[in-house]
Order: sequence, then C-alpha cells, then structure tokens
Amino acid sequence: MTPVDAQLLADLQLWYAREARLLDERRYDLWLEMVDVGVRYQVPTRYLTAQGDVGDFGAWTVERELTQAADVFLIDDDYAGIRTRIERLQSGMAWAEMPPSITRRIVGNVEPGEVHEDGGIEVFSALMAFKSRGPRERSFLTAQRRDLLGRSDGGFRLRRRTVIIDDTVLMGENLSIIL
Amino acid sequence: MNACVDLIERSVAPDASWIRPDIFADEALYGLEQERIFGRCWLLLGHESQLPEPGSFLRTHMGEEPILVTRTLEGEIRAFLNLCRHRGAQLCHEDRGVAKSFNCRYHGWAYACDGKLLAAPGEKQLYYGELDKEEWGLVRVARVESYKGLVFGNFDPDAEPLADYLGNMAWYLDILLDRRAGGTELLGVQRWRIPANWKVVAENHVGDEYHVGFTHGSQLPRPIESRAAPIPMAREIRPELGHGIGVDVIPEDISPGERGGFDEEVNEYLRSIAGEMKERLGEMRPRLFPIHGLVFPTLGMIPILNSIRVIHPIGPGEVELWSYCMVDRDAPQRVKDILVQRSIAAFGPAGAFEQDDSANWTGVTRNTVGHQARKHRLNLSMGLGHEGEVAGLPGEVGLTASDINQRGFYLRWVREMTGESA
Repeated sequence: MTPVDAQLLADLQLWYAREARLLDERRYDLWLEMVDVGVRYQVPTRYLTAQGDVGDFGAWTVERELTQAADVFLIDDDYAGIRTRIERLQSGMAWAEMPPSITRRIVGNVEPGEVHEDGGIEVFSALMAFKSRGPRERSFLTAQRRDLLGRSDGGFRLRRRTVIIDDTVLMGENLSIIL
Repeated sequence: MNACVDLIERSVAPDASWIRPDIFADEALYGLEQERIFGRCWLLLGHESQLPEPGSFLRTHMGEEPILVTRTLEGEIRAFLNLCRHRGAQLCHEDRGVAKSFNCRYHGWAYACDGKLLAAPGEKQLYYGELDKEEWGLVRVARVESYKGLVFGNFDPDAEPLADYLGNMAWYLDILLDRRAGGTELLGVQRWRIPANWKVVAENHVGDEYHVGFTHGSQLPRPIESRAAPIPMAREIRPELGHGIGVDVIPEDISPGERGGFDEEVNEYLRSIAGEMKERLGEMRPRLFPIHGLVFPTLGMIPILNSIRVIHPIGPGEVELWSYCMVDRDAPQRVKDILVQRSIAAFGPAGAFEQDDSANWTGVTRNTVGHQARKHRLNLSMGLGHEGEVAGLPGEVGLTASDINQRGFYLRWVREMTGESA
C-alpha cells in the first residue's frame, strides 16, 4: 500500500462534494469553472461480454465490456460540447429538463491514483445519481467515474472524465443530466 | 379477436385522418401485434459488418422474442430463437462475440453456429441413441435476407421477399446504402428504455417533420421570432404504405451530396465521392438528402445525422431503443469520427434532439391511458387530400410537411392487424 496523503484525500473529497452540490443546485455556470477547457467527457456503452481467460481474474476486465472500435459512446463531449449541452438548458425549449429534474449525486469511494508529472492526478470514484420529475419519471443509476484532475490556481480542474455506467441498457428515459 | 378488430376499426379512421389512443394502451391489441406485426413483417437484425467472421454472433430481439444471430462457418447469416430445444433455457447470454458452438448451461446440449444439435450429454446411455438430432436443432427464424448490408429476419415462411417488402423504399434507401462501392457499416449500439408505446415512437420517425420547429426549438436559431416564417420542411414521401422518408432536395448550386452545415473535412469527403455517387445513383438521387424515415414497422432512421435504430417493443407502454451510427465503410476514419460525434450529440439517450423527443413520446403514452383520454380522437389530418406526385420520385409525396406518412403507417398497421393469418 502506498501511504495515503491525508490532505490530498480530504481536498479531493471536498472537491467532489462541491462539484456534486453545484450540479444538484443547477449552478452550471459555477460548475464550468471547475472544468478545464481541454476536457474530454465520455460515457461508454457497455456489453455483456465473456471473461477473457476465465481462470485468470486479471483478464476479467471491465474494459472488455466497454465501447470498442466499432462502437459509439453514449456521450463523447469536448469542452465546446459540454457548453452546448449547458446552453441548451438556457434555451427555454429543452423540454426534457423543463421543469428541471430534481437530482442528487452522491460521490464516494474516492481513490487517488497515478500522479502525472504536471501534477495532474487520476482519481477513481463511485457515483450514485438520482433524478426525478415526479413519481412517474424517476431514474437512478450508479457508475464509476475515472477522472483526470489537473492542478490550477491551487485547486483542481476536470481534464478528463469517463463515466462507466453499471448497466448495459440504460433504464432511465434519457441522460439529460451531467454525470 | 373480434373485439380486437372492432377496436381497430373504431380507433383508426378509414383514411387515418384521426386515431384514438386506445391502440397505444390496449393489452389485447399488443398481443395481436406480436403475432401479426412482429410475426409477419421484416425486422432489422443488424448489419453484415457486425458479423465479420465465421462464428460471429450477436443477440437481439424480434418483437419480444429473444434472437441469436450467427454467421455460420460457411459464411451464411442465420437467426434463431435464443433458447435451447431441450427445456427452453436461454442459450446465449453474451451480447456479442465469436463462437463455433453454443452450450446450454442447463443440461449441456450443444449447438453448432448453424443451429444443428451437435451433442447432448448421455446421448447413448440416457437416450439409448434414439434422440433425433436433426429434429432438435435450434428454431430458425424462417427467413433471413439482406439488403445491401442490412440484415432482416421474418418469422413468416410465406412472407414476400425482402426486396418486394421494401418496394419503392429501396430506391430511397440506396441513397444511403449504395452510394459507395464499399457500402456502409453500422457502429454501436446505444440501448435504452423509454416508457412509450412503440407506435408513438415509430410514427414520429416515419413522417413527423412538423414537430422539429417546436420540439427541437433548443437546437434551432434564436430568437424564436427570427424563424417565424415557415421553416423549410422536407418533402414527406410515402414510397409504400407504411414506409416513409423525408428528404431535402439539394439546390442545383450545391454540389450533390453536400448540403451544408457540415465540418469542412466532411464536405471535402462528400465532394470527393460526388462522382461515384452520380455513377451509382444517377442524376436525381445524389440531390436528395434523406432527413428521417421508417421501414415499417420499427426500423427508424435519421440519416441526416447518421442514426438508425430499432424500436423494440417491451409491452404496450415501453420500448427499448437500439441506436446505431451508419457510415460509409470506406470513408476516412477522421470523417467517421466527426459524423459519429455529431450523431451522438444529437441522437441517443443524451442527444440534444432525442432527449426532447423521448419526453414527448413518454408524455403521449402516459397521458392517453385513462378511460376518458382513450375515447377521444387525435388529429392526423395535415395535408390530407393534398398529396401529389413529383416526377422522378417513386411513391406519393406530401408537398410540404404533412401527415401523409403517419396516415400510411396507421393504414398499414390496420392492414396487417386485420389480415388473415398466413
């Protein structure tokens, strides 16, 4: 076990809590300030796939189940794509979010990973996202986030996010919220 | 059965200028649809590109039936009910892959990828060598045929050939499928559930140009006043009853295949294939730009953004959409990447267009189930009596936005639902 940098872990947990709160409070303007302009935000599709070498747990990878060369993502946004997604909400005609969904994101299992030379840090976390527009429009999903956070102005900025949803068929009516 | 026929006749006007939402909510009708629509019509199974090698397989559905599609060692594509003939257990559990044979995990019966029963444990000792393996192969989908890469299945052994079923629709499909010698490939799939009746989703694909200006207001130029003038609408074409396609006609001053609005790299690609398109499709078709469409009953298309999808019904109140990106197989990878990114930004569960579509489909389905709501007619009269013909375009044509194709969809639905069993 690598020794845990308690301060780093606390900083990350705080960053994720704040991010979740801003999204739940629909403060997309403030949330965007937490996102690097070079960001890539991807949500792969997932398939039921046989294990690699069944005797070797090392071959039972999640990656085998995800978007491959001949697939498409559910979401594949750069910064402009994310901005477009948010500006859409301000059009007054984004009906899937009018009235806006009531959401709650709970982020846990925050696990710092590799630190890059430029200070960027890989972070794994788990996401529970609940969305409601009344009793007949409710959905709930869980996912793993694999993020790369860059360092800027003493804080973190989201440089890459891959959200691996824990399902093969998305059970909500849509993915109208940011994960 | 008679109750169903009565309900159908009461719920769809003879000219389909109105329908009653009974036909979305009724459980008995839904059951009859499984027999008469999904049991007799040609349904998309996938694309030849998804089964690249002998032993390639994928799972899908035809109506509510679980289906296993394979490429045999001889290279032929076959489709089967995905169940073991012994006790009915689910045979294949993976979404896709490559396998020379399939073993049922219940008692171990083994099938070749051409569906033959290869072996059953204890054949000699327990079955005394009397098990007729020829008889107990997988249940084949009676007919599997391809049209220029797209693979369709039909449970009805007496169904008309796929080419006849498509009829004039094939002429329009060729604009997508046959514009290049290398054909197309299908990328994906995105899968998600929407609590909507399948017909609500299908009728939107077959001919609803009208909704674009309002449903998709978030994606159109602002302010709204600046588009008060009628938005140029695609021509709605009904090549055959039930099938429909909306096309833009590209003005003479724009190079065929290039409609504008694309990234320069895509435009450059379209310019580079203009000659090939003209050679393969003639003068007229390269000037037609398909926007949306449907092959009856459930193959939806939004070719303007490279999206094609199957609307799998899951009971009367839910669908599972399977959405793919279709691109020219021989397009440069960079062009494919751009087109895919554009496609999924607009369509699919997180798409800026589709989110609002699905909100509509859900609302229609949910709010028309009530006893009172079911009794009242819904309007499909736009353009009725104003259909026409356009020289060179096969089929009937709505000269602007029109419900011609939704009417065609429901008239076809009535025809299939009230037709005698094969």
